[in-house]
Amino acid sequence: MDKIVAQYSRPSYQNVYSEQDQQDLTESLPPLSLKFALPPVANPSAFLRAMTDDHSNPSCPIKLAHGTTTLAFRFQGGIIVCTDSRATAGNWIASQTVKKVIPVSRLSRGEDKPTNEPTPGLLGTMAGGAADCQYWLRYLSQQCTLHEIRHKRRITVAAASKILANLTYSYKGYGLSMGTMLAGVTPQEGPALYYIDSDGTRLPGNLFCVGSGQTFAYGVLDANYRYDLTEQEALALGRRAILAAMHRDAYSGGFINLYHVKEEGWVHHGFDDMNPIFWKTKLESGEFSNVTSEL
Amino acid sequence: MPGFDFSNYNRNAALHARGVPLPKATSTGTTIVGCIYDNGVVNCEKLHYIAPKIWCAGAGTAADTEFTTALISSNVELHSLSTGRDPRVITCMTMLKQHLFRYQGHIGAYLVVAGVDPTGVGLYTVHAHGSTDKLPYVTMGSGSLAAMSVFESMWQPDLNKEGAIALCAEAIKAGIFNDLGSGSNVDVCVIEKDKPTQLLRNYEKPNERGQKERNYRFPRGTTAWLNQKVISKEDMKKYVTIETLSGDDNLAAGEKMEVDV
Amino acid sequence: MGSPFDINGGACVAMVGKDCVAIACDLRLGMQALTISNNFPKIFNFAPSTYLGLTGLATDVNTVSDLFRYKVNMYRLREERHISPQTLANLVSSSLYEKRFGPFFVSPVLAGINQTTGKPFICGFDSIGCIDFAKDFIVSGTASDQLFGTCEGLWEPDLGAEDLFETISQALLSAVDRDALSGWGAQVYIIEKDKVTQRLLKGRQD
Repeated sequence: MDKIVAQYSRPSYQNVYSEQDQQDLTESLPPLSLKFALPPVANPSAFLRAMTDDHSNPSCPIKLAHGTTTLAFRFQGGIIVCTDSRATAGNWIASQTVKKVIPVSRLSRGEDKPTNEPTPGLLGTMAGGAADCQYWLRYLSQQCTLHEIRHKRRITVAAASKILANLTYSYKGYGLSMGTMLAGVTPQEGPALYYIDSDGTRLPGNLFCVGSGQTFAYGVLDANYRYDLTEQEALALGRRAILAAMHRDAYSGGFINLYHVKEEGWVHHGFDDMNPIFWKTKLESGEFSNVTSEL
Repeated sequence: MPGFDFSNYNRNAALHARGVPLPKATSTGTTIVGCIYDNGVVNCEKLHYIAPKIWCAGAGTAADTEFTTALISSNVELHSLSTGRDPRVITCMTMLKQHLFRYQGHIGAYLVVAGVDPTGVGLYTVHAHGSTDKLPYVTMGSGSLAAMSVFESMWQPDLNKEGAIALCAEAIKAGIFNDLGSGSNVDVCVIEKDKPTQLLRNYEKPNERGQKERNYRFPRGTTAWLNQKVISKEDMKKYVTIETLSGDDNLAAGEKMEVDV
Repeated sequence: MGSPFDINGGACVAMVGKDCVAIACDLRLGMQALTISNNFPKIFNFAPSTYLGLTGLATDVNTVSDLFRYKVNMYRLREERHISPQTLANLVSSSLYEKRFGPFFVSPVLAGINQTTGKPFICGFDSIGCIDFAKDFIVSGTASDQLFGTCEGLWEPDLGAEDLFETISQALLSAVDRDALSGWGAQVYIIEKDKVTQRLLKGRQD
């Protein structure tokens, strides 16, 4: 009997993983060399730029989805994350219903059913190349989930943002295009907000706006932002800042996507068409007086 | 003053030097052909009038073919009035080539000139740079290769009128179907000695648009509007006096135009 | 630098109906991505029931509209009558072709009813004056690709004035909603023999 038991059990000190394996598992950084095929030309990044940069060359053969307004700010009740939903390829509006807020690390969520309960995890925003953002935030999500499995606790926003920043830095000069914000509340950090872009920049901060409409959003945000905003005030401010950017920036528009990140996780506060919100704002509070009904 | 106005030229050249693309002018994207037969000449697609018995098919920059043929038509008319003779195809062709050569190809008109004059039948091509050809059958435009292949394989020296029309239409259709730039219908112009010129618009319509299966009419009131203004004839009377003049010469004496006699 | 036609943005469309025509434009004036004004109409009146829409570079839209105001006024003084749509079409065409080698960056659209014959007339031009006569509709501007699609789908022959208003409005609004550089409201003129109705549409403001 003992023999049989011994066959199927192991002393607790003995581990299936070698010390080296364990070292690798716990300390290794995510593999960066994901082996992307590069075009067989002398200067791949210059080639990519020539093919895809529609700003300097409107007749470039490949038009990437660009143009966005995204914002996130910290306040006493957590973090507000708000985006527009337009994707453009040149002047062509490719989509008005893009989800530019991407949940990162969804392991502890369990199921995907829509719920009013806060969902634990981080939020990432998407500006710049849509494909770059989607792909690398998914990659980040994978790394965060692995972190959660390995360490039996959720990753900090600082760590997650560093994974992404290290990644973008390692691809610096290859032509990635992304400007992203990571927002989350963790027991170690409290509410934390980071800005990461494809140059390799990684900045912690209270308030960020990213994308072609960022200046318009900053205009509204800077005028009305306070750290001690109430939850309702903060949500309204986020929505109003995106609305202003949608109105003035040709490459932003569509639907307002609003999230609130708090201690227990993030809560979705709607994906609403800007059109009725715009007219309501205009008629009820007399803003946007530049839009008239005079003929 | 007649002629071109270069007042925007420097502005646009400066913009172009900074990498601004030049405006795209409408290009015909077309197949034009011409073919002579025993007693006359057939000319197809995008037709311009020069004289009663001289017609021109144009390819290339649409505005250039339109205005170049109009200018030459006008000069041919004046020339025939001053000489008191019917205009000749070769005269028209020479005027076109001299005009186009002067502009060194910047006027992008590619033309097939066809007609009948006292010297007989004339059929020429004129290129934008000023070169010309005199041939029994000609093709030009983006579909010229497809059309020429039809002529090369089917043209005969002793064509009659019906044969020539059919051959030209066939050549145009080769252009329409095998060249993306060319499309829609076949126009034919038949110019014969001692007979009025026949212009057969839409001689063939191989690309008729189908009838819509249903209508997409919107219910009234679909479109939201904020404001409206109605401008009616009655309203205009508030700002100007509208008087209807009768036929009586004495009543409207002050309104009469002075004419040199 | 981008094409001068795509700097300021804007769209214009004209349609033929039964004994009526309609012409409509958006209201945006931009500088690349930045919307400067949302009250920049691109349709100008040159005679009772004759309207000219101008899209393209805004500075040229202003210059060309002023130039034609001058030319049409001179015509009216000399001829002591209003200019007909057909005559205006030829005036526009030859005036633009005069600048063949230094064109204005505009794409005009003309719509009107000939007061003598009572017949509707529309046409479009390229920037050097090539006239595009059409029996159905004419489009121009940064949303012209989209307008071709919506007009080809929605237009039908012999629409009455009110139906034509709905058709041209929906065609324009749907088209500009897919173009980043035009929109921000629209103006429509429905031209009948002795009545013109001008309407300001409620369009998306993004």
